[in-house]
Formats: sequence, C-alpha cells, structure tokens
Amino acid sequence: MIIDMHMHIEEVPSLGWKMSADDCIRAMDAAGVDRAAVMTLTDLPGLNPAGLELIADACASHPDRLYGFIRLHPAHLQLSKDLLRQATTDLGFKGLKLHPVSTLQHPGAPPTIELVRLAGELGVPTLFHCGDEPMSTPLSIAKTAAACPDSIIILGHMGGYFHVDEALEVAERYPNIVLETSAMPYPEKIRTAVERIGAERVIFGSDGPVSSPSLERQKVVIAALGETAAALVMGGNAEALLGLAA
Amino acid sequence: MIVDGLVYLGISHFGYELDAASAITGMDGVGTDIAIAVPVHPTGADFGPVNDAVIAAAEGSAGRLIPLARVDPWDGEAAVLELRRAVLAGARGLFLHPSEEHFRINDLRVRPIVECAAELGIPVTVSAGFHLFAEGLQLGHAAEWTPDNAFVLTNGGQFNISGLGQFDAELALLNPNVHVQTSGIYREDFLERVVATFGPERLIFASAAPMFEMTYERKRVDLAHFSDIERELILGGNSARIFGIEK
Repeated sequence: MIIDMHMHIEEVPSLGWKMSADDCIRAMDAAGVDRAAVMTLTDLPGLNPAGLELIADACASHPDRLYGFIRLHPAHLQLSKDLLRQATTDLGFKGLKLHPVSTLQHPGAPPTIELVRLAGELGVPTLFHCGDEPMSTPLSIAKTAAACPDSIIILGHMGGYFHVDEALEVAERYPNIVLETSAMPYPEKIRTAVERIGAERVIFGSDGPVSSPSLERQKVVIAALGETAAALVMGGNAEALLGLAA
Repeated sequence: MIVDGLVYLGISHFGYELDAASAITGMDGVGTDIAIAVPVHPTGADFGPVNDAVIAAAEGSAGRLIPLARVDPWDGEAAVLELRRAVLAGARGLFLHPSEEHFRINDLRVRPIVECAAELGIPVTVSAGFHLFAEGLQLGHAAEWTPDNAFVLTNGGQFNISGLGQFDAELALLNPNVHVQTSGIYREDFLERVVATFGPERLIFASAAPMFEMTYERKRVDLAHFSDIERELILGGNSARIFGIEK
C-alpha cells in the first residue's frame, strides 16, 4: 500500500489555481500511489469559502483513494475549532493542515497551540508546512510540539532546502514529530531520518499534483531504506495516522 | 549527448567535496556524457589555484568536463584579471556564487566582471535563488547588463519550498538571455511552464552535484512531461549550444 500524505486540490480562479481531484488521481495512478491525503492551498476561512466542501466532495467521489485534511487559519480560532470538529466528526476528515507562511500565525502562538491540541483530542495529526521561511522552520514548529505533546505533528517537506538538519534535530527531541519527505531535494536525508528517529516516524509525501508523485517516490527508492523500512515510510505509517490500519 | 550543466569540483570551505574521478564515475552511472565543471569556494578564498585545478581536471578528462572560471567580485579589478587569465588557460565560461562569496548579484561591483565575460564571448552561470544575494529579480537585473550574452541561473533561478520563488524567476526569464537549470526544483509544473512559455531552449538539465544527487536530479527531467525534441534540448542540446560543445 503506497500512501501519499501531502497532495493538494484547489479552485481559486482569481489566483489562477485550479487543480482537481481528477488531477490528483491521474498523478497517483501514474506513480502507483494507492491513496492520498488531500488539502486545499488556501486557509479556511479565507479566499476559498467552499474549501471544506471541495475536499469533502473530492473524498466522497474517490472513496478509498482520497482522505481529507482541513486547512485552517488559527487567527479565526473559534471558527477554526468549529470547522475542525465538523470536518473530523461529521465529514470524516483525517487531519489538520497549517501553513504559517500563508496565515502569518506563529506555530508557538496560543491560537495555533490551541488548535493543534484540539486536533490531538480529536485523534487526527497536524501537518505543518515546514521549510525555510520565518515561522515555518523546524525550530518554530518545535514550540508547538513542546506545547502539544499529545498531538502528532508532521513536518511537511522536513525542513525544505536549508533546514533539514534542524528538522532531524527537533524530531529527535520531540517524539510527537513525524517527518514528511515531499519537495526537499536530498534522498540521503530520508535515510538519515530513518537511522536517527526510526522508520516509524518518516512518511512519504509528494506535494502533488504540481510536483510529481512519480519523482517524489523515486527519492525514497534512491534512499535505499531496505524493504521493511521502505514499507513503513511509503504507506505503513500513513495507514496508522489515517486510521486505516486493520 | 547528455550534458550535466553543473558539477562542483574540489574540497569546499563549506564542507562538501567532489573530485573529477568521482564526478565522472557518477556521470557514467546516470548516462551523462559531459559536465560543466566549476570550482568550489576554497579555504582561503584564493580562486586562482582552484580555477587552475578545474582546468587541469578538464584537460585530463578526455572531453568529459568543461571548465568554468570562478571569481570573487570583492576582489575588484583582480577578479576581472583572474577571469581573463583563466579563460586564456582554458576556462569556457564564468561562474559566480553570490551566496558563498557574499555579494549581491546586481551590485555594481559585479558588472565589470559580467561585461568582461560578454567581451570574451563566454556565458555566465550564476548559483541562483539565495535570499538577499541572488533572488529572481536581482538576477534578472544583472542579466540586463549584457543582454546578448547567455546568463544561466542554477536551481530554476529560485529556492523556495512554498513555490513562491517561481513568479520572480519567470519575470527574470523575460530577459531573452536568461536560461534556468533544473537542479533542485521540486515543482514539475514550473519546469514544464518554462518550456511552454519561454521555449525548450531556455531550460537546462543540471545536477549541481554534490549539492544534489545525480540520479535524482536526472529523473526530474526524465519524468517531466516533455516531447522528445524538448527533452533532447534540455538534457544536452542547450548546454552544447551555449558552451560550444561539439556533438
């Protein structure tokens, strides 16, 4: 079972963004990916008021292929908490997505911490955009990890181009951190991550469909993790995080 | 013919290294015929010896390595003199690394060096995408100084894991002399859009090894959605044209 834990669906004509569930499915099929976590590129509430329905409809149209993560804006805290409850409890969403660069919300600030704690209480992980920009670095998100020990926090892109070593360091420090492999360009760092924090805390993602799940999958192949670790990274761990494990 | 648009040779002050023999072994492993080779930033920052070392490595490579000269604009007129010396010794292009040498690519100190390259008829390759030193629009500005000379940007002219650098990189590409390399660019749609918008002559395969991994960087081009003609240009035809490599 191959599971891509980071894909996007969005429709914001004013930004020129239009990537559909079918685009995701085509990219997944080309890459041999069975299932994917999907989320918008915009934050609710915000530019795309129909974002929740967009993801819910995509998942309903592709049962057993697509699983929703709700992308929220912590500054709208009460509404975001209500949406998170609705998404996970009523619509079957499997996770929370936060992008501190687009929301300008520091991961260590009270609204983000409160929202991530709620995600933990609801039994779903939080996927952070984690790269090189201020407020999205591993050390920034480590503040959340420290404040929310009962919430699983996924570092999407595992630190980007220049912060991968810091992502490894904070993952060693906080056992609730999981590293996700998309976009960052260093296959050998995936192997290092498995060696330092264990294969159980590393997951495959592509950031597709605008980046290539086929290419991103090759990054894990080149990392040469061995059969058991690769199976966990490519899908076994995601099955557990998405609540799909038997 | 497959041409890797960038490999670094030597032992870098910043902790990475690659020798010519290892580079060629890696090239053989992924089917690369020729690579454009540049010196690393040496400890002590004297670029003369490392330029000579890369030129010597190229001379001993049976045509597998094409050397570029690297200079530091903070050296002032001496940088121009070093470029002229290295070109006479065999260097076939200018390489600038604004981040490692800590200069802004569109600082006027850089202009005489870029103009000297144009006068000598050699292309300019710039390590691109670094905040403060080599941002997309800064690179586009510098490319305007010598509009008839090829100006090659590594890393798609950008480094941003949110995809936010691609817009300025595309504005830089409005300069007809700007070309971008594929190294490190995770957005397949950007690579494909460069070809669709600006033409396949503007995109160049490069691994930037050892910063990035040769096998994975080659797959960026192999797995993207290009026609055979486009892919041939990207994988080698464009570098052959720009660097005067005979097929």
